[in-house]
Amino acid sequence: MSAAISEPLVITEAETRVAVATQRQLIWWRFRKHKLAVVSAAIVLAFYVIGVFADSIAYSEPFDTMASRSYIPPQPIHWFDADGRFHPRVYALKGKRDPRTFKLSYAPDPSEPRDVVLFGRGYDYNLFGLLPTDIHLLGVANGRPQDALFLLGTDQLGRDVFSRLVLATQTSLTIGLVGVTLSLVLGVLLGGLSGLYGGWIDVTIQRVIEILRSIPTIPLWMGLAAAVPTSWSPQRVYFAITLIISLIGWTELARVVRGRFLALREEDFITAAELCGASRLRIIFKHMVPSFLSHIIAAVSLALPAMIISETTLSFLGLGLRPPAISWGVLLQDAQNLQTLALAPWLLVVAVPVIVVILAFNFLGDGLRDAADPYG
Amino acid sequence: MITPSLSRRSMLSALAASPAAMAFLRSAIARADDLAASGLVGELQGPTMITDPAKWPTKFAEAPMLAELVKAGKLPPVEQRIPAEPMVWQPLNEVGKYGGTWRRAFTGPADGENGNRIQSSDKPLNWSADGSKIVPGMAKGYLLSDDGKTYTLSLRKGMRWSDGAPFTADDFIFWFEDIYGNPEIVPTPTPEMRPKGKPGRMVKVDETTVRWEFDVPYYLFEEIMAGDTAMGGGQAVRQAAKVSFGAYAPGHYLKQFLPKYSSLEAVNARAKQEGFENWVQMLHFKKDWELNTEVPVLGPWRSVRPINTPIWLLERNPYYYAVDTAGNQLPYFDRVQFTLAENLEIINLRAMAGEYDEQERHIDLAKLPVLLDNQAKGNYKVHLDLGFAGSDFMFHVNQSYTGDAEIRKWLTNADFRRALALGIDRDQLNETFWLGVGTPGSPAPGEIMPQSPGPVWRKKWSVLDIAQANALLDKIGLAKKDGDGYRVRTDNGQRLRLEVIAIAAFLPYPKLSEMVADQWRQIGIQADVREMERGLGFAKQTNNEHQLFVWNNGGTELLYLFPTWAVPVIPGAAFGPKYADWYSSGGTQGMKPDDPNIMKIFDLYTEAAGLKAEGRNHNAQEIWKILVDQQYGIGTVGQSPAGLGVRLVSNRLGNIAARVCNAQHCRTPGNSHPETWYFKS
Amino acid sequence: MLPYLLRRLVLAAVTIVAITLVTFGILHLPPVDFVTAYAAQAAASGTSISAAEADAMRLAYGLNQPLWVQYWKWLSMVSVGDFGRSFEYGRPVTEVIGDRLWLTVLLSMGAIVITWGLALPIGIYSAVRQYSIGDYVFTFLGFIGLAIPNFLLALIVMYFGFRLFGINVGGLFSPDQQLAPWTWTKVLDLLNHLPVPVLILSLAGTAQLVRIMRANLLDELRRPYVVTARARGLSERRVIMKYPVRAALNPFASTIGYLLPFMVSGSVIISVVLSLPTVGPLLLRSLLSQDMLLASTIILLLGILTVFGTLLSDLLLMWIDPRIRLGQLR
Repeated sequence: MSAAISEPLVITEAETRVAVATQRQLIWWRFRKHKLAVVSAAIVLAFYVIGVFADSIAYSEPFDTMASRSYIPPQPIHWFDADGRFHPRVYALKGKRDPRTFKLSYAPDPSEPRDVVLFGRGYDYNLFGLLPTDIHLLGVANGRPQDALFLLGTDQLGRDVFSRLVLATQTSLTIGLVGVTLSLVLGVLLGGLSGLYGGWIDVTIQRVIEILRSIPTIPLWMGLAAAVPTSWSPQRVYFAITLIISLIGWTELARVVRGRFLALREEDFITAAELCGASRLRIIFKHMVPSFLSHIIAAVSLALPAMIISETTLSFLGLGLRPPAISWGVLLQDAQNLQTLALAPWLLVVAVPVIVVILAFNFLGDGLRDAADPYG
Repeated sequence: MITPSLSRRSMLSALAASPAAMAFLRSAIARADDLAASGLVGELQGPTMITDPAKWPTKFAEAPMLAELVKAGKLPPVEQRIPAEPMVWQPLNEVGKYGGTWRRAFTGPADGENGNRIQSSDKPLNWSADGSKIVPGMAKGYLLSDDGKTYTLSLRKGMRWSDGAPFTADDFIFWFEDIYGNPEIVPTPTPEMRPKGKPGRMVKVDETTVRWEFDVPYYLFEEIMAGDTAMGGGQAVRQAAKVSFGAYAPGHYLKQFLPKYSSLEAVNARAKQEGFENWVQMLHFKKDWELNTEVPVLGPWRSVRPINTPIWLLERNPYYYAVDTAGNQLPYFDRVQFTLAENLEIINLRAMAGEYDEQERHIDLAKLPVLLDNQAKGNYKVHLDLGFAGSDFMFHVNQSYTGDAEIRKWLTNADFRRALALGIDRDQLNETFWLGVGTPGSPAPGEIMPQSPGPVWRKKWSVLDIAQANALLDKIGLAKKDGDGYRVRTDNGQRLRLEVIAIAAFLPYPKLSEMVADQWRQIGIQADVREMERGLGFAKQTNNEHQLFVWNNGGTELLYLFPTWAVPVIPGAAFGPKYADWYSSGGTQGMKPDDPNIMKIFDLYTEAAGLKAEGRNHNAQEIWKILVDQQYGIGTVGQSPAGLGVRLVSNRLGNIAARVCNAQHCRTPGNSHPETWYFKS
Repeated sequence: MLPYLLRRLVLAAVTIVAITLVTFGILHLPPVDFVTAYAAQAAASGTSISAAEADAMRLAYGLNQPLWVQYWKWLSMVSVGDFGRSFEYGRPVTEVIGDRLWLTVLLSMGAIVITWGLALPIGIYSAVRQYSIGDYVFTFLGFIGLAIPNFLLALIVMYFGFRLFGINVGGLFSPDQQLAPWTWTKVLDLLNHLPVPVLILSLAGTAQLVRIMRANLLDELRRPYVVTARARGLSERRVIMKYPVRAALNPFASTIGYLLPFMVSGSVIISVVLSLPTVGPLLLRSLLSQDMLLASTIILLLGILTVFGTLLSDLLLMWIDPRIRLGQLR
């Protein structure tokens, strides 16, 4: 009669694969469909790899200051010499401050080149925190890289921007992770309990949430930063405070989780499970959690970039990581003034990895959310 | 996190690299003649005070806006408003024209100094244009008796408050008896009135003469009455913010708020009615010219809109006591308008856009190239006013630190401090942060100041000498180093770490400290820079918690007026808060210094109050010699325009000096007499 | 309904009292009081206050009393509606905040309107046209605002506005209009200054909403009832807009409670960079200068807004989703 009925009842191999695939495989296949998410995953992975190898990829010692290197614009590598041979090198620089305009200017001097080499010698560091070495990805043939290589220019104190940027990547991508995890766990746990059980548990948790939520972060941060001992390094202070803040930061996720739980509780399939005699725990983990897992994933994928954003914002307010720690927030602070915009705009390059990573995390989260959606 | 390593190999390469690095990267570090070539630093100049009554004008004129009020009968004619003995100024360039609103920036109610300094001709005495001599202010002159026990201040006959009431010696006595003498208003007397702990007295001699009587010789008092001090600071600054000094007050206006002149119930009731907790709170508000537009003042302008609004507006004082040589009553500007901007970048940007007519406050030296670029667009000119203080950035080494015995041992060791001083490359700091316009050296005041110990002391211990620094540290017992090349403590073999507290101020102290910390690696010292918020940093410092505290030593070019950043005599001094407690309490509190040099400083300082100017200056020089030799404060670069010295002036203004005194006692820009500036167009 | 409401109101009151205690505690964590901060500020402005003057100030501001006395005093004042005088401004706290409050709300409301106006359509489009080019482009644009540090963006916009167009920088009014009475010129001046801060402010929030809207709508669109609706022949537009969008707005109801305090404190960063006269910088300054009464009142205000925001969002949740309402009242 109609076309639908006349379709063969043969199940193709592809469909078989789908039918017997595990949940994990299904998620992976769905994920691959979202091209942007795959690219973003690669980008995020690349950034973390850079973070692991930060010291190797950086070539200039990040604390080495020198007035004669102040505010050098990015210096290109000259790849081919006059004969057309591949001969990467950089030129010497002559710097001058104009006595009338007070502006610094640097003129390259081609008569004094230095060869750029792979795996050159630079400052000492510990690879993976264990193996002492001084080999870096890039170097110069004779001399210290910090006096010759300025791929992204230097800052006011003469420190190489590229190297500091790479090291900042390491710090910024890792320092907030523990706090975020803690917030996540607390949020799901307490929100779930609140939504599932209701009653006085719900009421208490809700009130606690309200009190915690109404504490504005900035005064809390200021108060905590003031209360820590002077001997703590900026990293330690920041880490400790993020932990404390995460004890408050779980509230947002908890409220949303609770809302979803409240809605889900009334779903038919839950009632069915209850009627079948499934235990509370089984209901939570086997039935309820997967249905808002996508929401949790969305929340996590937003929490990581949020952690990065909050780090930069706190640095702006003078509350976050401070020098001598190196993070994106610290570097952005260096760039947050008029003289940078007018005289040394290359310092703004720090915004690029920030933007890229945040976008990448967001698209990655989209892809994961789509992939984990059980209804798809 | 990386710990910079100073292993032998990298140390060698670092040292070896220097000449090669210098060859590869050549940059000229600015020299003194470069500064002259910039054309931004001029000669110190200002209007001339005409003190010979024979040369005073006999006919007077006034601003059009006041002339209208006179015509309407609301104001007496100008001849009756100006004192019989006015201050007569010959303006710097020419007699000015009336009119206009002087536009400036301020950052909020905490920025009262912005306006107080402009009002500082309400101080009894002021300073000459180069900041070296005391000259009359709102008072006509003073006399210090030969034995130093009596100080007589002469006021101007016929002088009036801004509401027309007469200004006489009664206003001084009113302050002394009813304000200063009332512990509910002033709980703690000021040491400035108690030489050697014995309280002085104020006595009215006649309508225009006030006398101070002391039990011991107190020659220093002449400087105190001229400086930015509790007694000599003037009404504008010393009666704002709930403090009540200044030596005089408008009695005719304030009496109504005191219980003595009515009753406690009456004033409290009035206070409640006006929304104050009690009469004391009401009084604090009523006498504050920044908040209360009704309080009479003596300065060139008075508030018509208070400071706690987005625009702080001042209008001319119709009874101001100064005129120019043509008889025009000053000031020339009708109004001063402060516009609120809570962010320094915005202030600098607006300055570049030409939105301010004269602004030296909140302008950032680091932006100098950009400011110079925009001169044409903003129609202004940049002037650099060099200061006289020896150090715009220095390390105050806490001599009374008790938090860690090992650290204390080194902080109190002179050779340790000298080694730190020798390890600083001041030329690099000067080039990077001062753009080359500062003077590297010790914290001693500039050589033109009378208390300067001499040019030899500029460089003593205050040059770069890594070899000597390392030798000194090796000699005192810190020769042992850890694997990364840093010196270790003698008590537990761990790395020696110094904590440096740095606060971001008009210079980026945390960044400066980072650069110095990097330089100290060459001598094997690890310094941990702790950047903190200003209030917190100062709280820790006054609480004796700091090891090294970064600040400047502004004001110490007149050591006895502003000693805080040089010697530990005022409680909370960074030099050694506990030692300062000991000194100021007369030995009952705090810690007694065990360093004989500090005791010698105390002796010299105490003696100075009773010495005449020559003797005082000599003692100050001796103190500076000890300070520089002992390096209690490690100086780097000073005498620069970094603080209040980058002055943007609209091209429309006239009578603008090429260079003005930039120092705390000069109340910059008060000492350059804004009442003589005017709009040419 | 009524007993539930009453119960919630009582709980709200208790919560607010708890908030005052926590606020007071946090504000007094730093070992700095107003006078110390003032002295530090004086030192930074090139002047100094003597120990005697500091003593006078401490006496005048009542900072010498023990903490619990100060707390009790403040609580008693607040419970009768007297919020005291700001130390720094010397004016009643209600005036200081009130001056800025309406501008703050105006700015935030503008941002919220733009945020929602942008985010909802983008979110719906992305969900409906998943994986299309349009999906990628719009989400990318929407997320750019989140990724760029907004303080940097504000500074850049400000600087290039000045360099290239010579426009008046920062603030919400031009200098000549600031003191002028309220005329059409002034209103126009304000409207001229609003777009930049509102846009920068709304950019960041857009991404978050887009993401949530998209996620929720995708969830809803998979549901059987949507398939049924399509099969029944409803137009695509009705299929999407009538129920899935409504259900997708469920989580918004949870977060609407966050909007109320956001209105007051959300624009802090932008306001600092652009020097806008809003409550955010006021809070920041009062914290730095330890202006206790002002800071406490602002934080209390934020706390109250949070509590009532939560109450509001709970009520909203019950109204939107009848399943919850019935469950709650059971």
